[in-house]
Amino acid sequence: MRRMVIARLAWTVAILLGVSFVAFMLVRALPGDFVQTSAGAQNVASDVLEAARRELGLDRPLLEQYLIWLGNAVRGDFGYSFVTRQPVVGEILPRFVVTFQLTLIAGLIAMAMGVATGLASARLRGRADWIVRLYNGFILAVPNFVVATLIVLVVGLYFPQIAIFNYTPFFTDPLANIGGLLLPALSLALAVSVTISENTRAAVLEVSGQDFVMVARAKGLLPRTVLANYLMRNALTPIVTVTGLQVATLLGGSILVETIFAIPGMGQYLFDSITSRDYPVIQAIVLLASAVVVIVNMFVDIAYARIDARAQS
Amino acid sequence: MSKADPILRVRDLTARIVTRKETFQAVRGISFDIGAGEAVGFVGESGCGKSVTARALMRLAPEGTAIALDGAVDFHGQDLLRLGEVAMRDIRGRRIAMVFQDPMTSLNPVMSIGAQIDDIVCRHMGLSRREARQRTVELLASVGIPDAAHRADDYPHQFSGGMRQRVLIAVAISCDPELLIADEPTTALDVTVQAQILRLLLRLRDERGMSLMLITHDFGVVAGMVERVNVMYGGEIVEAGPVEQVFHAPGHAYTRALLDAVPRLDSAGQKQ
Ligand SMILES: Nc1ncnc2c1ncn2[C@@H]1O[C@H](COP(=O)(O)OP(=O)(O)OP(=O)(O)O)[C@@H](O)[C@H]1O
Ligand SMILES: [Mg+2]
Repeated sequence: MRRMVIARLAWTVAILLGVSFVAFMLVRALPGDFVQTSAGAQNVASDVLEAARRELGLDRPLLEQYLIWLGNAVRGDFGYSFVTRQPVVGEILPRFVVTFQLTLIAGLIAMAMGVATGLASARLRGRADWIVRLYNGFILAVPNFVVATLIVLVVGLYFPQIAIFNYTPFFTDPLANIGGLLLPALSLALAVSVTISENTRAAVLEVSGQDFVMVARAKGLLPRTVLANYLMRNALTPIVTVTGLQVATLLGGSILVETIFAIPGMGQYLFDSITSRDYPVIQAIVLLASAVVVIVNMFVDIAYARIDARAQS
Repeated sequence: MSKADPILRVRDLTARIVTRKETFQAVRGISFDIGAGEAVGFVGESGCGKSVTARALMRLAPEGTAIALDGAVDFHGQDLLRLGEVAMRDIRGRRIAMVFQDPMTSLNPVMSIGAQIDDIVCRHMGLSRREARQRTVELLASVGIPDAAHRADDYPHQFSGGMRQRVLIAVAISCDPELLIADEPTTALDVTVQAQILRLLLRLRDERGMSLMLITHDFGVVAGMVERVNVMYGGEIVEAGPVEQVFHAPGHAYTRALLDAVPRLDSAGQKQ
């Protein structure tokens, strides 16, 4: 177990290095750098632009820029935003917390809905199965920004007493904060919950047909014991796996949903930073987001080994 | 050990497998008795309805299969086919237990061996966790698992096929059932292990005085093991009687064909 955790950590570091390098090169490959973008349509003398580049260190070779950035990042220094001239960490952190909260709530909703509907459709069969599958097929066919927009419209029109665009910071009023995130989280969660539901259904059906389930019933065990220890414990592995993989989808989707619901998370900020070519900020957001995805998947692998002894070797 | 006091009396048992398209009659009105402490063999080719019969006695069916049962399964005077599901659950594993055909797929891969015996013991005998584990270790030792106390924490993938079948036998005998149904318990094992498992079953039956319903498609297996044998063909019992009689003077053409299929290592003189 410990060896596995260490190996996974090393793997995580390698992935994050790779991601940061690719992100670094990609944003610099965009046409027009920060200096040129901020000059905009004005006619600025080229030696002024050059001076500005020198000041920001953008005149050095790319690899050197990357190594300098990496050296600082390792020590927790992600530099200053080109735009606001404030430390990147201080700019991003509060926004990251908001996005993280949104993603977390959406993840929990998706998991609860997905496992419940998937289990119901596999166990009850017949009409329940039919309804769940129809619903899943429908949700899957509709992109989640459409769902989000529909929620905004429907709630806005028919339930005006619910304030949709009213984001409350967590420390001002935790309940209002979570309550305000529920609708955006729901619209984010629907598509993911369908994926989890379909996978849960398939996993439970697959396990139900296994011999050991009949052995469990032949033992006279109570139905809830059979369900928990024989069916679900075996179905859990594929369910946990897809859930882990969906974290990236949730993070990506949160950018859209934040825009629609006017939530001050990383989404809008990332968009603005890319438009203004604010390299240090883009770099930090990309790194942070991939760190979340990679770390979640590391936990998934560890959970795996805890669920199934065969995965430890 | 006589037919005088059967613990199980099956009359006109039919089992129809109902699918969306059709109904298939897998068991067609069979009747038989099993006496206390008696070992009865069921022999027949693949697909003749042996497993469906065995599962019908415990009212089990594979997930997603609807089976309609008819007739009577009289166990100590109560008809199991008319018993409520809750009462039936108290009989399964406690008074009638079953060993299945394939030990490789019959154990839950994500639970330790010990936990899979603890749960049935806790369920039926009302023991605490610790007492249950103690009993589990004794059971594992009695079916011939060496170093049982430690091996109980292992997982199925760490056990060989023969050892897994021993574990499943330990599960089945854990609550001292009156009737043990063994559905082709050795088919999936290699020949040397088959003999060990059969000897183990016989020894346990003698020690514990349980009745044994031994299902097989191999006449060679039942010959030395059971008192009486029922020959099944196409969902019916076509011949029944003491094993010597059926063996030496088969009355039914199908039984003769089955007997001819048994490879003989000894002299050919047994055949008539
Ligand atoms: N779940 C099921 N769905 C449809 N048909 C089934 C099902 N289970 C059994 N049958 C049919 O019922 C008949 C009897 O099957 P059963 O499993 O009892 O045979 P068996 O005598 O145990 O054979 P084997 O020696 O191969 O185990 C077979 O013809 C089989 O095709
Ligand atoms: Mg069978």
